[in-house]
Amino acid sequence: MAEYITLVSSLPYLPPFEKAERSPITRLRLEQRLHSLEADDAKQLAIAEALVSWRLSLAKPKTDKEMVLRCRVALQTITQPALREFIEFRMDQQTILAGLRQRQAGFATPELERASGASRWAGFIASHWDDPDFKLAAVYPWIPKARSYLEANDARSLDSLLMNIIWQRLSLIAESNRFGFEAVFAFVFKWDILQAWLARDAAKATGRFQELIKEVKNGN
Amino acid sequence: MEPLILVLGWVGLYCPLALAAIGSSVGCMRAGSAACGALLEVEGGYGRFIGVAALPSSITIYGIVVTMSLRRELTLENSPGVFSLGVLTGLALLYCGIAQGDAIVASINASKSKAEVFGISMAPAALIEGFAVFAFVFALVLAAGIPK
Repeated sequence: MAEYITLVSSLPYLPPFEKAERSPITRLRLEQRLHSLEADDAKQLAIAEALVSWRLSLAKPKTDKEMVLRCRVALQTITQPALREFIEFRMDQQTILAGLRQRQAGFATPELERASGASRWAGFIASHWDDPDFKLAAVYPWIPKARSYLEANDARSLDSLLMNIIWQRLSLIAESNRFGFEAVFAFVFKWDILQAWLARDAAKATGRFQELIKEVKNGN
Repeated sequence: MEPLILVLGWVGLYCPLALAAIGSSVGCMRAGSAACGALLEVEGGYGRFIGVAALPSSITIYGIVVTMSLRRELTLENSPGVFSLGVLTGLALLYCGIAQGDAIVASINASKSKAEVFGISMAPAALIEGFAVFAFVFALVLAAGIPK
């Protein structure tokens, strides 16, 4: 298993995403640093990023079916145990969230069956559809909170909750091998969350929106 | 049996230096890798990172001195003592070198984003140096008791 002491040491400290004011490293610079990954590790990271990164990307699957298919293919290619585990963790989280959203939207039965290849919980959710937390609250204590945020249409708090769960998971993964591939991919996904959070800053978005309106007005 | 005992004596004689050199190399390699990575991230103070990366090299010096102190005409009487003392001192120095390298890697990673912790973050590496000194000093003391 490769050690990436130089690479990990060249990466900046990532502050907790909710406290960050700006990203400590640009994507361009991060990619330059990631050039020192071994070819196979770099390939696996790219596949995982296209599948479970937080930020919207053109490379991400557009439908459940496509997602399941891509996930199956990805898990055949990805051999790093920690990365596989992280993908499965993300797929579980997304499946549960999809179930919560579908029930909120008034679905009589979940349409997660076809996604059963992506998460082990799809069938379980279907069989416990009437339970508010799909009887999964003991395994995933965040479900009741996520459900309450969904019901309150509080997207920001929901994002914050889910991002925090992933962030903590990534911190544990990085600690398991502080100078290995685990630390590198944990950094990349944490950076992704941080970028996504900064991009969703309501105040900045309002400011930017007003700037755009001004530009349009001045242009006219 | 007698040649084997003499061979073990020679092994013990060179062990402190050989194992300490391996430990220092691994320690310096790991600490140096971290220092090089940190150079990409920080804006200044490069010298201190490279400087501390060289710290595990001191372990080899202890190995040289212990090997010199064990140097004598090897006989059936003194070879077991030389072997035991040499191998155990060598192993201690080997591990100290590697562990010190790891402690320095952690120190560099902590201080690259928080420069003010540089000194305190070196404490674990300094402690490990202390353990290496214990192994070194007591090897010298005990070596004096091995028959010439």
